[in-house]
Amino acid sequence: MSLVQDLRAVLGDDRVLEEPVELYLYSRDASLMHGQATYVAFPHTTAEVAAVVRVAEAHAVPIIPRGAGTGLAAGAIPVDGGIVLSTTSMNQIELDVDNRTAWVGAGVINLDLSKEAEPYGLSFAPDPSSQSACTIGGNVANNSGGAHCLAEGATTSHVLGLEVVLAGGEVLVLGGQAPDTPGLDLKGLIVGSEGTLGVVTRALVRLLPIEADVRTLLLDFEDLSGATRTVSDVIAAGVVPAALEIMDQKMTTAVENWLRAGLPCDCAAILLAEVVGEPEAVEAEAALVSSIGLENGARNVQVARDEEERAILWKGRKSAFGAVAQVSPNYYLHDTVVPRSRLVETMEEVQAIADRYGLDVYNVFHAGDGNLHPLMAFDASDPVMLDKVHRAGEEMVAACLARGGALSGEHGIGLEKRDMMRDDFTELDLDAQARLKEAFDPAGLFNPAKVLPEGSRCFDFGGVRREIPDGAWL
Amino acid sequence: MTEAAGGGRRAYREVTPDSVETLALVLREATESRSVVQVVGGGTRQGYGSPPAPDIVLDMAGLSGIEEWDPDDLTVTVGAGTPVADLEAELAGRSQTAVLPEVPGASTVGGVVAAGMSSLRRGRLLGTRERMLEVRLVTGDGRVVRGGGRVVKNVSGYDLPRLVVGAFGSLGVITSVCLKLWPRPPAAATVSIGDLESAGRVRRPLAVLEHDGSTEVFLWGTPEEVFSSTARLEGESREGHHWPADPAGPYRWSLRIPPASTTAGVSRLPPVWSYLAIHGAGEIRAASDVPDGAEDLRGWAEGVGGSLVVVEAPKDGINGLDPWGKPPPGLEIQRRLIAQFDPARVINPGRLPGGL
Repeated sequence: MSLVQDLRAVLGDDRVLEEPVELYLYSRDASLMHGQATYVAFPHTTAEVAAVVRVAEAHAVPIIPRGAGTGLAAGAIPVDGGIVLSTTSMNQIELDVDNRTAWVGAGVINLDLSKEAEPYGLSFAPDPSSQSACTIGGNVANNSGGAHCLAEGATTSHVLGLEVVLAGGEVLVLGGQAPDTPGLDLKGLIVGSEGTLGVVTRALVRLLPIEADVRTLLLDFEDLSGATRTVSDVIAAGVVPAALEIMDQKMTTAVENWLRAGLPCDCAAILLAEVVGEPEAVEAEAALVSSIGLENGARNVQVARDEEERAILWKGRKSAFGAVAQVSPNYYLHDTVVPRSRLVETMEEVQAIADRYGLDVYNVFHAGDGNLHPLMAFDASDPVMLDKVHRAGEEMVAACLARGGALSGEHGIGLEKRDMMRDDFTELDLDAQARLKEAFDPAGLFNPAKVLPEGSRCFDFGGVRREIPDGAWL
Repeated sequence: MTEAAGGGRRAYREVTPDSVETLALVLREATESRSVVQVVGGGTRQGYGSPPAPDIVLDMAGLSGIEEWDPDDLTVTVGAGTPVADLEAELAGRSQTAVLPEVPGASTVGGVVAAGMSSLRRGRLLGTRERMLEVRLVTGDGRVVRGGGRVVKNVSGYDLPRLVVGAFGSLGVITSVCLKLWPRPPAAATVSIGDLESAGRVRRPLAVLEHDGSTEVFLWGTPEEVFSSTARLEGESREGHHWPADPAGPYRWSLRIPPASTTAGVSRLPPVWSYLAIHGAGEIRAASDVPDGAEDLRGWAEGVGGSLVVVEAPKDGINGLDPWGKPPPGLEIQRRLIAQFDPARVINPGRLPGGL
């Protein structure tokens, strides 16, 4: 039987897409790259995922697991054909309030999980800016972070167990509510593996008690270094706030023009700080953040008076990328990390690079983590501009690596940064990574061409080196 | 590198490499000659699993010390042989902690990571795996490999740093790690409470520990927070943290169960066992003079999705009880992973579940 017949035998006619317009949509994610899907499959159960994996294997066609397609690193695009396996139909949530955990289908939307847990006084900590659209499966694949992972850690710190479908259609349930499962922590290795080791169908996640009190502060500074010094000094004083986010003047202005939230646009940077905990602690910590900010040159400290004001401040932060749409039709942002002590000099260099290429750069970043998101706004219909954006972006990433930083803090490597992995790791490091992949997926069935550059396996003389296909950048 | 001969019934070579390069050479030779290598940090966890009879004993003391520490970055990079106590003492000088075991004895950082030991604060600040930012290791066949990086947030490539936690060297001998640090807040208190229920008056305490019939809540934070939480608990309060040591005895156990089953776990321990239960984390450390009752306890633990692991036992004194219990799922993949890193299986062979 043909591939499509086999897929339909498993899923029925209506859960296998093959119309050109559907394939076009599922050949893209939120990056600027695209590929070409052969079919799109919508399994409802783990058993169906296993059956699809076996069909794919029999036809030697790759599987590209996909959540909501909000990824920015081209981790979910089918580079060279393949079955795009959408997890969005697997959206069950089973709460265990006593143990503060939940088994969650890979297709559950991040924010829906916290909404479901809220009546029990619980919430899911990782909160990527795309949390109203992105799925738990995608969060697991990318080890997603978010503004609030400063104090609570990224997704991997909140995943206790996984149900996965591996090569051969083998289904494993790894980890569990009990800590320290004996043996190698396969579950931990699958988190952040970007769908290259298998398909995650369900995750057992840790939920945290909703804090008793919260205070959100907005501080504005005449220079960026005052804002970053405040971040360092707050942590040095023994306080790890729930979030410490900085936006530069350009970004603040873009957000304000769109949101009209009364953000100060005449300052060099704003710092959004949030402290949580028992009411006494929140009061003391808010006072501390405020006084440290003032010592470092903050002009004003605004405290959100109620939940509505707090929500507006966060909306401004989390919609920052979208707000740039009113400035330019396209944007390209990098996700890199530097040691926090080197934030200011890195930002200065990022600006210098942008100036050199004549580009507009907007900055919004997780300051507490040293996690930068320099964003370049441009018009992608101008090929000269696009080329400049890519070259400037690569220089910005190189500038971060040169300061002891990392390629990606939370968006993933995907196809976008695959070939830059050589700038961060030695041949032997990459060979070790390729060996991890090989132990799970010797045939290269799952999400091929992602994360590791071709030829990472040192003794891999077999395949022809495949470059990123022409036209993948658009 | 220093070398010495040792061993009783069976002779082995004791090697103390002073550089990563020498270590790589030793391991390459071990792979060629199919020699069994036992890795020793502080020597506190050599009873775990089924320790092999070694041809080479690797003493990691030569690879120790702080390599890089910028307090502003909340990261520290240390040699694997660094004693935990020395590292934490150094970090405390700048009001920071690596959140490693509080009463570590001679344990080294590499040993704690390889054996998957965690802090008593894990209910609030999570286990050792969450501290791991970067690992450098030498594989069984002598390749020098790095995973992760020296920043607090990183998703570049597969998470090798977390994978080595609890792997007992099966992927390679750890030579250095970069750890995520945590600031120590200005105030701390230890409060003895009468019943476990009242611990619930504090939403997210640093630790709730139960041992030898008493329960203590560990608090830290701003002075205001610690003061008000102490008052709410209505117990006897002491300033600072007074951490209990792990229970000691010829048999030592680690009971791992869902957090909500911790009280049930304590009640199921044979009455003569001493114990230290970490509420909210699902870990109970225990010790006993004899292994009686372990099989029933393991049966219960595995029934609720957990395990009872033998941490230490007298040689030949375990009466057929497997050190780990029921093998975890995915053994075949674990076997393939290990084969990629230690093809001749020379480092601590057989110490993992399933005889891996």
